Amino acid sequence: MAPTVIRDLSDTSGYWAAIWTMCPMPDVHVICDAPVGCFNLVGTAVPDYTDAVPHIENLTPATMTEQEVGGKGTADKVKWTYDNLALTGVLDNKQVIVVSTAESEMIGSDHSSLVKQLGTGTKFYYSNSLAEDEWAGRDRVLVWLWDEYGAQQTATVTPNPRAVNIIGPTYGCFNAPSELEEMRRMIEGAGGTVNIVFPYATTLAEMHRLAAGAVTVVLYKEFGMGLAERLEKPILTAPYGMKDSNAFVRALGALLGTSEQAEAFIANEKKTTLQAVWDLWRGPQGDWFSTLDVGIVAGRGLADGLERFLGEELGMKIAFSTARPRRPGDYDNEATRQHIHKKAPSFLFGSMNERIYLREAGARFTNYIPASFPGPAVRRAVGTPFIGYRGCVILMQEIVNRLYDGLLNFLPVDGAYAAARGQGGAPAAAPSGQSGNLRWSSDARDLLDAELQKLPYLPRISASRQLQMVIEGIAREQGATEVTVDVVNAGLAANRS
Amino acid sequence: MAEIIELNQTGATKTPCKLHPQSMCPAFGSLRILTRLEGSHPVMATDTGCLYGLTFVTHFYGASKSILAPQLGTAELMSGQVVEGTRAAIEVAGKEPGVKLIPVVSLCVAETAGMPEELLPRKSGDADVVLVRVPAYAIHSHPEAKDIAVAALLNRLAERDGPVVDKSVVLLGEVFPADPLLIDALLRRMGVSETIFLPGRSIEDFRRAGRAAAMAPLHPFYKESMNVARSIGMSIAGGAPVGISGTYAWIKSIGSILGLDEALVQQVADEERAKATAIVAAQPLSGTVMVTGYEGTELAYARMLVEAGAHVPYVSTSIGQDPLVLPDEMWLKAHGTKEVIYRKALEEDVAAIDRYTPDLVFGTTPLASVAKERGIPAMYFTNQLASRPFFLSSGMAATIEFVAEVLTKGDRYRFMQEFFAD
Repeated sequence: MAPTVIRDLSDTSGYWAAIWTMCPMPDVHVICDAPVGCFNLVGTAVPDYTDAVPHIENLTPATMTEQEVGGKGTADKVKWTYDNLALTGVLDNKQVIVVSTAESEMIGSDHSSLVKQLGTGTKFYYSNSLAEDEWAGRDRVLVWLWDEYGAQQTATVTPNPRAVNIIGPTYGCFNAPSELEEMRRMIEGAGGTVNIVFPYATTLAEMHRLAAGAVTVVLYKEFGMGLAERLEKPILTAPYGMKDSNAFVRALGALLGTSEQAEAFIANEKKTTLQAVWDLWRGPQGDWFSTLDVGIVAGRGLADGLERFLGEELGMKIAFSTARPRRPGDYDNEATRQHIHKKAPSFLFGSMNERIYLREAGARFTNYIPASFPGPAVRRAVGTPFIGYRGCVILMQEIVNRLYDGLLNFLPVDGAYAAARGQGGAPAAAPSGQSGNLRWSSDARDLLDAELQKLPYLPRISASRQLQMVIEGIAREQGATEVTVDVVNAGLAANRS
Repeated sequence: MAEIIELNQTGATKTPCKLHPQSMCPAFGSLRILTRLEGSHPVMATDTGCLYGLTFVTHFYGASKSILAPQLGTAELMSGQVVEGTRAAIEVAGKEPGVKLIPVVSLCVAETAGMPEELLPRKSGDADVVLVRVPAYAIHSHPEAKDIAVAALLNRLAERDGPVVDKSVVLLGEVFPADPLLIDALLRRMGVSETIFLPGRSIEDFRRAGRAAAMAPLHPFYKESMNVARSIGMSIAGGAPVGISGTYAWIKSIGSILGLDEALVQQVADEERAKATAIVAAQPLSGTVMVTGYEGTELAYARMLVEAGAHVPYVSTSIGQDPLVLPDEMWLKAHGTKEVIYRKALEEDVAAIDRYTPDLVFGTTPLASVAKERGIPAMYFTNQLASRPFFLSSGMAATIEFVAEVLTKGDRYRFMQEFFAD
């Protein structure tokens, strides 16, 4: 088999999935069988950027060093860590889970027997980190948690015909607080009540009450279906765009027997929340969408959803769309990078990786909107969902504001201010005694046109004027009577710097 | 590399167990340096979880640079395809525009599976392929991984054959961008012919470094790099131009190693000392400050703050104890510092907050959050302290001014603490 080369990996491993799925529950304490780096990155360095938490407090490493890797094994270190943690009292009333890492799997550490010698109830989770990615990993750990801590305790649970479970988010899910808030609002709008939000806003002790739910909503399409199927209740996934949001509310109303309330909610949303979409659509802003193209790199639910709302409903041209995990035919990062290098779209929803490719391409006129990890983004405010009715408004509003911003950056400003700061040359206006435009050779004109074609539609007009002024300024400095290809190239270079 | 980390409670001081070690993933230190070099296109040999985390932080703190890696999952590791995959990634890296260097950063699982250097190419096209081994289980801290990366580059790239450039010096350590200009100006005034600052943006600097007369590490964890310099025949200047006494001693040491004009060196040293003394006199610090980062430079910062008038009872760092840090440790202990902790853990730092009731804490993000929960002014050492001018009297002025200002902010931290206490 020919080796596979990865460029800027987008999906992390089953180990991360395990930590990020278990640790939101405060009655869990995880001991990771890990070198210091696997502890620091998963527990401190990265969740600081993905979830805006200073660090994950219920995670402790059984820090692996050369001794353990070199033949001693990690069992003693895990036991030492457990015993000393217990002495500090932080394990009181906690369920302890020992989790494997790529490196512990590499040296064959299996603590399924060892955990029986530790405190009662301590379990071992094999994260299969050398084979599983974060999506399959989250899916599997959710099922494992249910089987180990929930499934046996369901006998006492009374079903509630209006209760709706939400599966997801975990740590490291883009925009989680806002998506969750909008989902709660939609469930309540449709006539339901939110039962358990697993694992983000519950505890291990109460997760068995998932059995009370009448409907299961999977918030992120990319994981959670395994557990949803295990719960054997009707399953809905979070909707994006107006049509799917209506369909979601209707379907939920039908399942809960609250159709009347669901219809009333839809009618009211059209008059309130969604009124902004209707107003913007009827206004001059609405005209812009069909002139713009957009690239999408996001979790599977969001990628599908942005295609439907931005593409099918607003009419933006989808330059490319690639999901995490990838759908058949989706670009890998190499292909995304090449597309961006060749022609960057007007808008790009993506991760830090795509942002780097934009910088490599010098694509200053592309509006980059963070929409997936990896990448630092604070998304803790609950008012900026991508799903549901509010998601439609946020997306439309964000795109229009970015266009305004682009325009304001392009409107001419008197060049004398830059000159006064000592930046930039003199204004490119014709000196006295010389009037009118300079003559352009046809090759020079073609080159400028080709360059302008690469720009998004909106800034093209202003950019065209500005570039022309820069180029003609250079030509005049050189005392040229005609603008040649060389002068255009000099102008383009000056404009880029 | 082999080092046993002490786990058990250590006798009389009753320090707590080291349960939560405080370091970035060590390999990050090397990646930061290697991605920032112009023309360098790193290949990481590791598992996907590690790759994700390290590229994440490197793309935040290092450079906007695409990073390649071989897929190393169960299948590849079990069928012994580590080298084959790495070679394939090197080939892709070799096609990047302007590529001059392909560092192969070999991490935990690749090192455990085995990464024989002789099976990697030394060149891909015109680019040098340089193996950098930084498994987290063996390196322990990211400052030390910076040293491994610099040493590997010097080992391969430093020109050993050309004539030595008389009175030239390599300065080692990642510093604030203004610091090299000021240090260079001062050294030239003393008669130094040329300075080279490593690691920076230029691969060429690593080549030129081989012909320098001396090396002056500005940070105390460049042990392996110094060994390479010694093997080339360079002299080493110890210490660093930090604070009043440190700067004075460093200037004299540079002067003597490079054989500079003694009277001129003395004049410059006296001037710097006078300036630094005047700065402290104008704005003396008062209060108890804890200096507890994980950058490996904490002792030097503590020393400067003590000279400026602060009480620094506790200093901790992620690096191990080493002769290179010993002078600072001894100096601190002679000037009121009670504890200096190496390879520190969160537990030790938290206990120190209880013990010393500081007015200000510079620490890791977990520690700073603990301090803020108690209403104590606290900042992330890496972002706020380690990213300012620091060296010579002008660096001292900038750092002291910043610390003095933060020391006045207690009310704000108490307000936040009280607001969220209910």
